[in-house]
Amino acid sequence: MQKSRFLPRGRKDRTMVLVDIRETKSVKAADIFLQVRPGKDFELLTILRAMIKDQPISDAEVAETGVSIEALQDLVARMKAAKFGAMFFGMGLSMTRGKHMNSAALLTLAAEMNAFTKFVAMPMRGHGNVTGADVIMRWQTGYPFGISFNRGYPRYNPGEFSTVDVLVRGDTDCVFVIGADPGATMPQPAIDHLARVPTIVLDPHVTHTSRLAKVHITTAPAGISAPGTAYRMDEIPLPLRPALKSSYPTDEEVTRRIKEAIQAKPDWMVEGPQRLETQV
Amino acid sequence: MITLRLIQQPAVPLEAECLTPDRLVELTNDQIRAAVLYHGKRQVRVDEFFQVDGELSDAIELHGDLSRVRHLGRQMSRGTVTIRGDAGMHLGAQMSGGKIEVFGNAGDWLGGEMRGGRVHIHGRAGQQVGAAYRGSLVGMRGGSIFVDGAVGIETGMRMKRGLIVAGGRASDFVGLQMKGGTILLRQGAEIRTGAWMQRGTIISLVDLQLMPTFAYSGTYNPTFANVLAGRLAKLGTELPFDVSEGGYDRYCGDRAVPGKGEVLIWKPT
Repeated sequence: MQKSRFLPRGRKDRTMVLVDIRETKSVKAADIFLQVRPGKDFELLTILRAMIKDQPISDAEVAETGVSIEALQDLVARMKAAKFGAMFFGMGLSMTRGKHMNSAALLTLAAEMNAFTKFVAMPMRGHGNVTGADVIMRWQTGYPFGISFNRGYPRYNPGEFSTVDVLVRGDTDCVFVIGADPGATMPQPAIDHLARVPTIVLDPHVTHTSRLAKVHITTAPAGISAPGTAYRMDEIPLPLRPALKSSYPTDEEVTRRIKEAIQAKPDWMVEGPQRLETQV
Repeated sequence: MITLRLIQQPAVPLEAECLTPDRLVELTNDQIRAAVLYHGKRQVRVDEFFQVDGELSDAIELHGDLSRVRHLGRQMSRGTVTIRGDAGMHLGAQMSGGKIEVFGNAGDWLGGEMRGGRVHIHGRAGQQVGAAYRGSLVGMRGGSIFVDGAVGIETGMRMKRGLIVAGGRASDFVGLQMKGGTILLRQGAEIRTGAWMQRGTIISLVDLQLMPTFAYSGTYNPTFANVLAGRLAKLGTELPFDVSEGGYDRYCGDRAVPGKGEVLIWKPT
């Protein structure tokens, strides 16, 4: 690991704490391992929030999280003494009971740690260019996800407009999927809805979603035979140069041609025949 | 009285924020029929989905399964909305007066950021009842919400004033980041009740599993309980307060904030 002016011994000057419900292979790389009881992440993070503010916390109160109070006191002391702390979190936090509030607890803890020292938190990304989608949505609309454009301006409301909720409730009468495979990961009611409505999939491969879809358009794989920009997990944009040629069109080209075809239809623009006075 | 009957189930959610007493009281029957709803992104006339009877009234009655009709009674300040059937999301959001009664279930964000008035749901309600919208600091600021059945997660999230009464069992995160007001849970709640609360009161008539950051601070019969009981009796629900019947265990928190909220759990003798 990189040696620097303030951390001359490299890895030895850094501390890695791993929090998980079981001992994983990463334990070997970590200096400290805290085994939290499943489903107690929110409680543990809330206790840490109280502890960094020197609120009295007893041993009995900590006991239900599966971590000892000494271990937490040590952790808080190390966090406050650090020059720069970074927290990484993944699906184990955001997809268990409590969902977004577990992530919110970690992000709030990171924000509050900045009263003492520099701290950041970063989600560990899964497949594909997820960060890129978030970043682009953010600077285009001001919101990262869960956006509805049906009134002509962006409206943000996760729970109402987020993909999984929209599909589970069956609020759409058409689904357009680019570079994702909701058919493999989403709950059964959402998959049933994908099969029920016209679903269009743009993907280099045949996916679970393609099998549910009415239309599958094979596109050139991005980064291999299609150029573009991918965002790294820490939001650094990386230009991709294609190494191979593909006979398939890119996602961008297909989307543009679909848009042009829709624009040619009469019932399109908000200012145009979409409005009631021009419809009647 | 204006009666609206749903004649056709919308294919995608129908946004009907024009169906409020404040709007319809000024409209004749023809104008109500011509009022604009949003069906997806398309503008449609009210009479495409509703059979409309009556005009110039602030008493509205809706019939049918309106679970896909959103924003009913939005920002209303007067009159009544009676729904005979289920209601969709954002029912009575940002309302400041008047009364809503639903003989069925209600969706998410029931009475979201409301400032006054009264809501009574005879069935269940969805998530985020009386809550703040995402990015907003303050939820419900006044008025009362009565739900006879169960309520979903994050009930009363960031609420500042007002009263929520849940007749059935509540889900997780009741009173999340609460800043004031009162929540009464007649059948208790799942986990993480009162998480991150700053102020306000959560009363439960059955035992609760609390966050580890709440501290026990005595058993007593608070003086305000009989005042609240008196007000609740007028609104049609009971609250025990007498020493002979039992007492309230008081827990204060949430120390993570650190907050001055209280959770009162009724312990009958």
